[in-house]
Amino acid sequence: MATIVDIKEEKALEVQNFEFTYDGADAPSIKTLNMPIAKNSVTALIGPSGCGKTTLLRSFNRMHDLYPGNEYAGEILFKNRNILSKNEDLIKLRIQIGMIFQKPTAFPMSIFDNVAYGMRLQGIKNKTELKDRVEKALQDAAIFKEVKERLKHDANGLSGGQQQRLCIARAIAVEPEVLLFDEPTSALDPISTAGIEELVVELKERVSIVIVTHNMQQAARVSDYTGFMYLGELIELGRTEEMFVTPKEKLTEEYITGKFG
Amino acid sequence: MTHTQKRIITNYIVMTLSTISALIGIGFLFWILGVLIFNGIDALSWTIFSQEGAPPGYDESGLKHALIGQLMIVGVATLFGVPFGILAGTYLSEYGQKSKLAETIRDISDIMMSAPSIVIGAFVYAIVVAPMGHFSGWAGSIALTIIMLPIILRTTDDMLQLVPSTLREAAFALGAPKYKVIIQVVYRGAKAGILTGVLLGVARVAGETAPLLFTSFNDNFLNTDMMEPMASLTVTMYNYATSPYEDWQRLGWAAAFILSMFILSLNIIGRIFLMRKRGK
Repeated sequence: MATIVDIKEEKALEVQNFEFTYDGADAPSIKTLNMPIAKNSVTALIGPSGCGKTTLLRSFNRMHDLYPGNEYAGEILFKNRNILSKNEDLIKLRIQIGMIFQKPTAFPMSIFDNVAYGMRLQGIKNKTELKDRVEKALQDAAIFKEVKERLKHDANGLSGGQQQRLCIARAIAVEPEVLLFDEPTSALDPISTAGIEELVVELKERVSIVIVTHNMQQAARVSDYTGFMYLGELIELGRTEEMFVTPKEKLTEEYITGKFG
Repeated sequence: MTHTQKRIITNYIVMTLSTISALIGIGFLFWILGVLIFNGIDALSWTIFSQEGAPPGYDESGLKHALIGQLMIVGVATLFGVPFGILAGTYLSEYGQKSKLAETIRDISDIMMSAPSIVIGAFVYAIVVAPMGHFSGWAGSIALTIIMLPIILRTTDDMLQLVPSTLREAAFALGAPKYKVIIQVVYRGAKAGILTGVLLGVARVAGETAPLLFTSFNDNFLNTDMMEPMASLTVTMYNYATSPYEDWQRLGWAAAFILSMFILSLNIIGRIFLMRKRGK
């Protein structure tokens, strides 16, 4: 059984007896996993490659539904409902639970249109409202100063770090309640990485954040809670400052001291 | 002879042979273009564009009928072929993906691409011309549409698959429904590639003669009624070039020149788009 620390905050998400099996796989990739995600804080998921951390993350916005044959079991509670239910409106869910990917995913359109994309999907057409909210989102993503002169330019002309911040602006523009980060800095240089990390910490005042990372220093720097996963199971969930100093589980200790992984 | 010397000599022989072969190939291409330009430009004049066909021996004869007929037949074929081809390619890449049905369509369309165009002409003759009782511009357009379809379908399919799946996922993650992801994100990412496919598809059918012989046939005078037989540059060129009259033969050269320049420019534009896309 996993060691799970008592979370005092309200919970943004609650994973209960969750199981996930990829299409055609013999065994589930995630096995009976229980895990609370605290509201307005950053939860980092760490663990060796293939441990299921990205699979878990992509279950929170049902990304796996884009490909046929994947199967969920158990429950993930969000706002008192099970988002794994067949009746779940995935479009609404994905507006409420946003995602940032490993590689920047700027759409082939202007910087402005990129950020306005999600709002336009929701039917917002008023030009002043769009403009105000795009600027606000760009400011919140700490990129407005760099791009304010060229909002009409193609977003693919930006650097990797700028594109990633643009994607964050695009995601927060629709005001989600949860943001999922899937190794958001693994394709970026150290300076851009520091910028994104700073942003993650700032954003937790408004959204609850789950971040998958391969980099334990990053988990230590940005997160309030850390979950260590191994072979499809959650081994330990603890307060970050405690878990990196005094892990309760032997496996966790071995992983964070670099004995395997 | 040492091993190294042998290797150097072998290398030299292979390089020389392949360079000569390449030069021979290119030589023929320039030869063809040279003959076309030499004879074609000589035959070009204003009356080519302003006058219809006339019996041999008339000064005032031109290719206006064939130019307009060609544009109408190819234009209508493009109007049908492009949307169908793009939609079918979209089905393959975005909906069918690796399913059995999609893979079967891919295989059949590859076979269709290499089908002799005269067979397509005979097919359209059997299903359109014979029941109608006469040749028509429509029948020509239908034949060209069938030839164009697999080209556009496969390029669209290939180009859409080149759009990274993370871009689609990012759009879905913002709450976009599938059709909006395809239209607003995937199409935009593949714009240059799809346009290239369209241009190459049009260029391919614009040079077809055999299927038109069976379908739109020919007319030596201007006709804009698609229900009737219609002139085209290719069939007109064939008729004029094989005639014994010198003035008709000159018109045949002019037709060949205009047609080649049209297809050459479509190909060049298509390749420029493709290069720009790769350059990114």
